[in-house]
Amino acid sequence: MVNNKLLAAVIIVIIVIAGSVAVWQLMPTEESIKIGLVAPYQIPVGQDMDRAAKMAVEEINAAGGVYVSSLDKSLPIELVFADTENANPDVAITAVTRVVDQDVDLLIGGFGSSATLAGQVYAIEKRVPYIITGASTHLVTRRGFLPEGNPTRIDDAEGMSYMFHYCTTTYHYSETVAYFFAEAMKPLLESEYGLTRDLRLAVLYRDDAFGQGVWEATKHFIEDGNLPIDIVAEENYPTSTTTFQAELTQVKAAKPDAVYVVDFTTNTATIYRQGQNDVGLNTIYIAVECCEEPEFYTALGEWGDYQLLESKFASYAGPPFYLPMMDEYVADYSEKYGQVPGMMGADTYDAFYIAKDAIERAGTLEKSAVRDAIESCNLDQMLLITESGKIEFSTDEDSYHEIAPFTFVEQLIYDETLGECRPFVIWPENCFAGTVKQADFVLPENYAPGS
Amino acid sequence: MFITEILCRILAKHTVDTQMIDSTTLILTLMWGAAIGCIYVLLATGLNLIFGVMKLVNFAHGELLMIGAFVSFSVSTSLGLDAYIAVFISMGVVGLIGVAVERLAFRRVLGADKLNEIFVSLGLILIFDNIAVLIWGEKSKRIISPFENMGLQLGDVTISFDWLIAMVFVIAILIGLVFLIKKTKVGMAMRATSQKSQASMLMGINIEHIYIITFALGAALAGAAGSLYGIIFPFNPYIGALPTIKAFAIIILGGLGSIPGAIIGGLLYGIAEQSAVIFLGGIWRDAVAFSLLIIVLILRPTGLFGEKSD
Repeated sequence: MVNNKLLAAVIIVIIVIAGSVAVWQLMPTEESIKIGLVAPYQIPVGQDMDRAAKMAVEEINAAGGVYVSSLDKSLPIELVFADTENANPDVAITAVTRVVDQDVDLLIGGFGSSATLAGQVYAIEKRVPYIITGASTHLVTRRGFLPEGNPTRIDDAEGMSYMFHYCTTTYHYSETVAYFFAEAMKPLLESEYGLTRDLRLAVLYRDDAFGQGVWEATKHFIEDGNLPIDIVAEENYPTSTTTFQAELTQVKAAKPDAVYVVDFTTNTATIYRQGQNDVGLNTIYIAVECCEEPEFYTALGEWGDYQLLESKFASYAGPPFYLPMMDEYVADYSEKYGQVPGMMGADTYDAFYIAKDAIERAGTLEKSAVRDAIESCNLDQMLLITESGKIEFSTDEDSYHEIAPFTFVEQLIYDETLGECRPFVIWPENCFAGTVKQADFVLPENYAPGS
Repeated sequence: MFITEILCRILAKHTVDTQMIDSTTLILTLMWGAAIGCIYVLLATGLNLIFGVMKLVNFAHGELLMIGAFVSFSVSTSLGLDAYIAVFISMGVVGLIGVAVERLAFRRVLGADKLNEIFVSLGLILIFDNIAVLIWGEKSKRIISPFENMGLQLGDVTISFDWLIAMVFVIAILIGLVFLIKKTKVGMAMRATSQKSQASMLMGINIEHIYIITFALGAALAGAAGSLYGIIFPFNPYIGALPTIKAFAIIILGGLGSIPGAIIGGLLYGIAEQSAVIFLGGIWRDAVAFSLLIIVLILRPTGLFGEKSD
């Protein structure tokens, strides 16, 4: 009898404890907001993204964190790292899966089109809001609209609605470059050389999703805008290529007026150098904005003199180009890390403030509410200049969840004291924030037009 | 299908470019192929030497090239030494690193299962890459040559002096290596060890010493390749992987363990890569180079200069 009573008491105690534990587990217990940073830590851009993310998180946490009204408290941001090594697609899948399974509230980052396309699939499946700040293919937000049967298509409109693209796409790059050649370089060739024919453009690109994306978009803008540009050479090469004389020889044979180089920092610097030094292709070279990294200037040396770089955030370009916030960011970053920031970190930095704003407006960490809040973002532009001066994500099918960044063209001038080039914005004249142009575009002394 | 595709590409490209590919372009293609091939030759010769004598497969050989480039960079920037003098210092430093690697890592697994050697070398890749990032950072660097911007003018193109000097360096180093192997006692001992290690031991050759010398020599060659690579191309701590793959392809092409094979294989590989770009387009660069490897292996399974093993 006594034993039965004891047994009943033990059972009741166990039930009460188990019940309490269950209730405790069901109660909201968030002590932090977990944000996964997807970055290639083995390469400089990844390090830049990491430093910028840490800086943003430190600032936000130091200012009290992110207020979540449903919890009636502010939470600090906790960074969770998803290392994609050197933007390897296979590694990206594992890295993103790991952090998503750690129940992150949001993802930020993603560098490299192929790696981001591969890694985002699990985030789409699990409905995790993802602000993509480093992949330039427009497909990261538009792959849901691809024709049926296309292997890249994801037939999950609801899942795709969690993806946001906060950086320039291959379309932005190519539009800026195509219109620069049509509106700035062609008139210059006419006035200096009397050339009334179309501008002869060669495109040299790496053979991956990024390179092909830029190539396709360049053709699209030239044809669609009926621009006076004739593509006289198209050379692509495997991503493993390190020496380009043979490709440049082919480009030279096509007698271009300018060469559009679509690759990352090291290879682009090699192409500028080998083109001029080894092959004697004395023309205008223009690089895509992902080369806007301090490393590019170091690798380029004097071979960048009078050459061009397309950009959206220029750490080295001084006033009047800077927005006040850029000045502050560049100074803080340089002081904190002892080096000048790259442009990839700037996107990432902004994205943390976009996330903060969205969570505060959503008032909850519930993912669909955060997604809706990001979609309705209306913050003032931060480090990236936008066409409207606001950070707004589009919802049209042909530019789904993309921002409209402002991109511009810089001319690099060699500084003997520094042993490196420094950029000057040459095109266009103005943006929403005011004047951006710093200098006129001039052709190099040894420039030879295509024919 | 593949061969038909290649022939179609050649015909199509030829039709368009007949007037564009002139004799200067052809000569330059051969020159560039030979120049990049020379760096492959140096790396592959070191790899082959180690394999020939020690029967050791070292996948971390490309990391020694990377270390060589960084040592040369540090010596030339911090001490202000000429980039080409730095090549010799780099060879010495990387040679010593080779001694340490052989003693501390490979010696422990030599003669055991090949899988152990492979895992040791894969581990070494990670260790070397991370040490390089810690010391030199992850950003690309380039060694500034005293002949920067200088070259031999051929029509309206220039062959950089650095490319030409790299070729001269490689030829000189290879002559020295052949002399060492053919004309010195150490070389004779190396040859004997490569042929019959147990018999060599019975004849009084200290094969442990020979292994150390061989590994140090192979590493020094990789160090020289790295220094020359760093003068010509930008480099970072992760450049080692691709040259290693190419070096393996070259020694298979030339014949495992054969130094003349590595030389001819390296040059052929470099020229095939460059010619593929000119005649077929850049995207065919690797496909043609590896197709050459497959064709040689079909016609001659031991490689160009390889001999049937026991």
